[in-house]
Amino acid sequence: MQSADKYRIALLASYAIALHGLEALVPSPIPWLRLGLSNIITVITLFFYGIRPALMVTMVRIVLGSLLLGTFLGPAFFLSLSGGLAGTVSMGIVMTLFPGSFGPLGISLIGALFHNIAQLSVAYLLFVGKIEAILVVLPFLLAAGTVTGACNGIAARYLVREIEAAHQKKENG
Amino acid sequence: MRHNNITLADKVLLSICIFLSFYSFVYVKEAMPKGSEVRIEVDGKLKYTLPLNADRTVELSGVIGRTTIEIKRGKVRIKDAPCTNKICIHEGWIERGSIVCLPNKVVVTVSGPDKNKGPDAISG
Repeated sequence: MQSADKYRIALLASYAIALHGLEALVPSPIPWLRLGLSNIITVITLFFYGIRPALMVTMVRIVLGSLLLGTFLGPAFFLSLSGGLAGTVSMGIVMTLFPGSFGPLGISLIGALFHNIAQLSVAYLLFVGKIEAILVVLPFLLAAGTVTGACNGIAARYLVREIEAAHQKKENG
Repeated sequence: MRHNNITLADKVLLSICIFLSFYSFVYVKEAMPKGSEVRIEVDGKLKYTLPLNADRTVELSGVIGRTTIEIKRGKVRIKDAPCTNKICIHEGWIERGSIVCLPNKVVVTVSGPDKNKGPDAISG
């Protein structure tokens, strides 16, 4: 890996951590419901640099973010880790399997969906153990995941467009 | 150049996600009565706690005779009772509330799904 890539990953991860921290300040009406703003960064990283840098950004974000928020190795950390990894891996797989078919909107939706599925599975296996409690929050999480996934996807789309425009401007001028 | 527009696949996926969200509400609502239980008390003592979603017929002896309670399709009724006025049988099928048979001292109560059994919150 070249040092320029390392800087890029560090920069993207710091953006993701900032969004992660910001979002922790937002109160949530339903357990496990989060805006998933840092997923915008993951989507952008995937689009520009591919799956491995995206995984790295996600890992750095989750580990450093949880250290900053004081949730490291707590229940929230494992939920965050499972969700983050499942989201990133699923987005990467979909992008590899169907190159070009999905835009940032679709990729972000995939990420949100698998993030929720992984998180609920881990919550069920490790912490709750009652399928009823999972079933009660499942529809809310799926609905919220669709809304936040779509919003984040649209945000990522604008960002990808702006970054590409900036790149082209640089190359042309 | 990379694909950066909202593609057909995006729209299809968004539709699927929206459909899944709505469908999960309906599905969970239907699956939820698993949490509901039928409590059968005789003379103030709890005799049975049965799930409402499993069809079953229970026969038990009360103070003056045998009462038959039937659980079917998420509803419960008193099928047969030894009393004279048969009020409990006339109550028919219920899915919430309770049926009381005073002469035989049998109380059948349906308790709703308990939604507060999980943790209050786990944030992630």
